[in-house]
Amino acid sequence: MVKNKIAKVLNFRYIILAAILILLAGGLVLLPKYQKHEGIKPQELLSNVISSERYITTDKLSEKLIYRDPSFILIDVRDEKSYENYSLPNAINIPLEKLLDEDSRAYLNQSQFDVVLFSNDHFYADQAWILCDRLGFKNIRVLKGGLNLWFTTIINPEEPSQSMPAEEFDLYSTRKAASMYFGVVYPEQAQMVESETKIEAPKRVITVQKKKKRAAEGGC
Amino acid sequence: MGPLIPNGVIPVEWDSIIAILIGIAFGFVLEASGFSSSRKLAGVFYGYDFAVLKVFFTAALVAVIGVYYMDYLGYLDVSQLYVHPTYLWGAIIGGVIMGVGFVAGGFCPGTSLCAVAIGKIDAMVYVGGIMVGVLIFSELYTFFEPIYEGYFYGNITLEDSLGINPYWFVFIFSIIAIVAFVISDMVSKKQKKIFY
Repeated sequence: MVKNKIAKVLNFRYIILAAILILLAGGLVLLPKYQKHEGIKPQELLSNVISSERYITTDKLSEKLIYRDPSFILIDVRDEKSYENYSLPNAINIPLEKLLDEDSRAYLNQSQFDVVLFSNDHFYADQAWILCDRLGFKNIRVLKGGLNLWFTTIINPEEPSQSMPAEEFDLYSTRKAASMYFGVVYPEQAQMVESETKIEAPKRVITVQKKKKRAAEGGC
Repeated sequence: MGPLIPNGVIPVEWDSIIAILIGIAFGFVLEASGFSSSRKLAGVFYGYDFAVLKVFFTAALVAVIGVYYMDYLGYLDVSQLYVHPTYLWGAIIGGVIMGVGFVAGGFCPGTSLCAVAIGKIDAMVYVGGIMVGVLIFSELYTFFEPIYEGYFYGNITLEDSLGINPYWFVFIFSIIAIVAFVISDMVSKKQKKIFY
């Protein structure tokens, strides 16, 4: 009995298969279309944006620079002219509008180095960070306060007044030492510095391994 | 996520190994379904066996429907898939030559190798013919080059050249396929039974 029934159904097997194909193809047409997101999910992006982990302080950055930490690259997202004018040592210039070019991606989308983005304030750097984060690039940070804060904290630190706690004085002396490293000369040291030849940090050559992402090729 | 190799999910170095495995599976299925018989293949032109038409049409349909569902669900990015470049006149002339060879010899290049593997002599002659053709083509390459390299339209798809919505195209394509299957069944029923 059962066998007969199966045989009866199997008589229509081609019709059934044809119907399935048509149904599936029709389903494609009828499915509600949606805008596809490139990169990470909006929720994930939002939680990354809220987190303040993306920032690196100027003090931390100066420490990294002084110890010649090889694990990170600095990227200046301002325009070329400002970059020529002044930038941090060994920074690479990738203006915001060229951020997603093929050449720039090699620096941003890699797992070899940490990337520190900076601009005058952290406004443009933050924009660059959001663009990169949305595409799922990892290990990207923003210099909090940008170059402006870099100047007021590292290059020209404000001397604490007498009533301030001892930590402020420690911080000041660290920052002062850092500023000397970056070439600032203080009056009390002017005589000593004269004889010293200025040691310039060697220009670091940053080679980034291109992430293997090849266009599909081949055929029949 | 996909395609797997261009996105680095599977390292590029694996692609030859995967190609060999898929090739073996493809060859096995071809042979197992009788595609190494030139009579079966030529049947589609004489109207007594439409297996070739049905198999390749169904394969294309299943693949295209599957690809677009995977794209919809986000497992595969259609825009990253390999699209064969179009050299218009090269494709037309090559297609005509291949078609004539197909009818005359009863094999397409893939099935001929399949038939060689099971020791068919006609297939060996056929493959020899392919080699001679390759030799003639390479010797006269400078003469053929303008056609071979010319009329280049880039890696276009029907979606680009006709401006048609791919989902509708898949739907229409599957209806055309089903209609073709029904008609081919009717034709082969009218044909006198041939045993081979």
